Amino acid sequence: MSHPVALDKPGERVVLMGNEAIARGAIEGGITLASGYPGTPSSEIGNTFARVAKATGIHFEWSANEKVALEVAFGASMVGQRAICSMKHVGVNVALDILNPITLRGVKGGLVLVSTDDPSQHSSRTEQDNRWLGRHNDVPILEPSSPQEAKDLTKYALGLSERVKLPVMVRTVTRLSHMRSDVELGEIERLSREPAFDWDGFSYRVAGFDKLFRRHNERHGKIDAVQEINESSPFNALKLDGGEKIGVIGAGFAYTYVKDALEYLGVEDRVTWLKLATVHPIPERLVTRLLKSVDTVLIAEEVDPFIELHVKALAKDVNPGIKILGRMNGTLPREGELSHEIIDKAVAELTGVEVKAETRVELEETKNGLLFDRMLTMCAGCPHRSTLYALKKAVQAVKGDLMNVVVNGDIGCYGLAHAPPMEFEDTYFCMGASIGVSQGMQRFGVDTIAWIGDGTFFHAGIPALQNAVHNKSPIKIVVADNQAVAMTGFQTNPQMGRTATGERVEPIMIEDIARASGVKHVEVVDSYDLEATEEAFKRMLSHDGVAMVIARRECAMIAVRNMRPERPPIYYVDQDACVGCKMCLSSYGCPALMWNEDEKKASIDTTLCMGCTSCAQVCPVGAIHRRGEE
Amino acid sequence: MKTFKVVISGVGGQGTLLASRLLAESAIKAGLQVKIGETYGMAQRGGPVMGHIQIGGEASNPQIRKAEADVLLGFEPSEAVRRGVTYLKDGGLALVNTRVTAPVEVISGMVSYPDLGRLMGLLGGVTDRVVAFDATGVAEEAGDPITTNIVMLGALTESGVLPFGEETVLGAVKDSLRPQFLELNLRAFELGKRAYVEAA
Repeated sequence: MSHPVALDKPGERVVLMGNEAIARGAIEGGITLASGYPGTPSSEIGNTFARVAKATGIHFEWSANEKVALEVAFGASMVGQRAICSMKHVGVNVALDILNPITLRGVKGGLVLVSTDDPSQHSSRTEQDNRWLGRHNDVPILEPSSPQEAKDLTKYALGLSERVKLPVMVRTVTRLSHMRSDVELGEIERLSREPAFDWDGFSYRVAGFDKLFRRHNERHGKIDAVQEINESSPFNALKLDGGEKIGVIGAGFAYTYVKDALEYLGVEDRVTWLKLATVHPIPERLVTRLLKSVDTVLIAEEVDPFIELHVKALAKDVNPGIKILGRMNGTLPREGELSHEIIDKAVAELTGVEVKAETRVELEETKNGLLFDRMLTMCAGCPHRSTLYALKKAVQAVKGDLMNVVVNGDIGCYGLAHAPPMEFEDTYFCMGASIGVSQGMQRFGVDTIAWIGDGTFFHAGIPALQNAVHNKSPIKIVVADNQAVAMTGFQTNPQMGRTATGERVEPIMIEDIARASGVKHVEVVDSYDLEATEEAFKRMLSHDGVAMVIARRECAMIAVRNMRPERPPIYYVDQDACVGCKMCLSSYGCPALMWNEDEKKASIDTTLCMGCTSCAQVCPVGAIHRRGEE
Repeated sequence: MKTFKVVISGVGGQGTLLASRLLAESAIKAGLQVKIGETYGMAQRGGPVMGHIQIGGEASNPQIRKAEADVLLGFEPSEAVRRGVTYLKDGGLALVNTRVTAPVEVISGMVSYPDLGRLMGLLGGVTDRVVAFDATGVAEEAGDPITTNIVMLGALTESGVLPFGEETVLGAVKDSLRPQFLELNLRAFELGKRAYVEAA
């Protein structure tokens, strides 16, 4: 069955996720290359390209990290190809180093950078508004408000980029990236461009150093040209005939809350509004038309007061008396994502109408008193849980106390090590930081463990590891190697031996990199062999140089998937042998384990258990067995 | 038509995303507009998952306002109550899988799972139309607990509240699922319909 994103049927209506729509827009816009690095909420863009790359004749790759991904896409642009590169908001921090020279030098083939921001941090360790990063580098920014517009704007962005010779950022938020709706497909442009390096545009040898080097002024000229284009962009919409002198501006996805609130509250006819998709550079003349026709304006946008700040500056010249409401004056919250509740309330106050009162306050309170949070946890059979169990035992044995090391974690499923019941992780910051920050602590005699996953090691762990060897910082590194980029939905990394599109390639093994980097003590163990893993950790902790243990075992979700249609072997707790010590539950805590309060015995949920054997190894009285092997 | 609104709630890994996707595909087949909003950040690791589905109508944002959902499709009792109390409209239909998925707080002994009777009583404060049954048990009977989502979809279809018929839903199921799993899923769908009739 072919993916709707690859369908060559203009006019067909299909259900697409915002991220899939972006991929479709890029294909319609004639890209021949897509790259990216996975990270929620961006991953489905690349996942979609991976699925349709062959059918649509494009190259797609999961790159080693976001900076490399953008470099690959820029390379394609310099030889005249259209390209797109996608990443989550914090990924752009990594890619920033190349983004800046791209904007100074310009592009040849259309180049689109997709930044998926994550307001309210649904799945990120930080909230950040990447429109500042676009503006910082004079990158035009487009913000869609629906999957349909995400598709159409991505296609448009490729053409715009080529026309003004700047990369263009398409900025989404989680709610849009993960929203699905019916989308009407458009024509797929087939450009069939012969790849040719643009010598005049990029070569020092041909164009000359002087021509290429100082171009900040030229970049300003380009961004001004985009502003002129934005003044008449069909993706913006201004409704001026509001009956009263009240205005609302909705940028990107935030516009949907505004539009729905106006209808919900029945005030469409009273309010002047502007839907803004071209958020940088702001079409000042268009915004001025709204500002001059109202006394008060509410500005709705996701994360920071980016438009609001600009509108304040603009208002000083065009309507100094105007009252500006938004995230800066407290009308809207200073941070976090918007909601119907927030915008309904603000629009109601602005127009003097009533919002429906909450009727279930008491019921909600009772509910909240009764319910748990349902904390995130590692899956049933997750090898990271087994690795951590063995690591804690080894640290207790060698260091005397679990608090005698600082565990610096990293980004991925294994980052859940901080959560109960393992609770064995002190910090995590950004990709690869576990190995770096450990060195600064170790330098002053504070013992550390760097706890990093296989995918993250490739992203940013390698330079940090080589730094430790080169600068003689005797840190201990545990690689939680589940042979998967699991957290973001099973993308590829260089150790897996296959590319994003399924081509077989030579795997690059972490132990080979470590040894080639001069790490003298490297061991590889099976996470499901608890005793052997614990012994390996003891040797690592007793070693006096840089030491690494790679705890390797395939992610349990992949293992279960590969078993289908077979079900995993059945494990059970011998109810006569179980002494009710709860060791399996409290110190191991696999979600497949259950406690029977009446019998005071543990048991195993066979719908969740995947037969990893770890709890059978943890049980101090040997009460857990595989059916048929008692 | 008036917008038809469904809130789906459950735990990561229960297949709620597929259930909402199948409803969307059905809506498209029936020629209706559809919008789905989902939150599932890191939910594969046992966290709560919620989907908002709006079929027909002109809303541009997929989020459903509080107490406005026509249907709650609850894949787990505590998650059904968490979302149902907030989003289900007065007198709306609550379809609830009674099979408990204990969170890590319960497994590791930090708290105990709330009394099921009390939990469901809270839903009773919103509606009298609560249809509860062990959908995971029905899925096991069909051959694989992973088909819990299709059992729930069968039950929802049988309830007759959807703005399209059974043939439309089955068409979406047949188009969207891999052929080798179709027989299993069609069995789950039929058993889900039967379970609804028995429980309603």
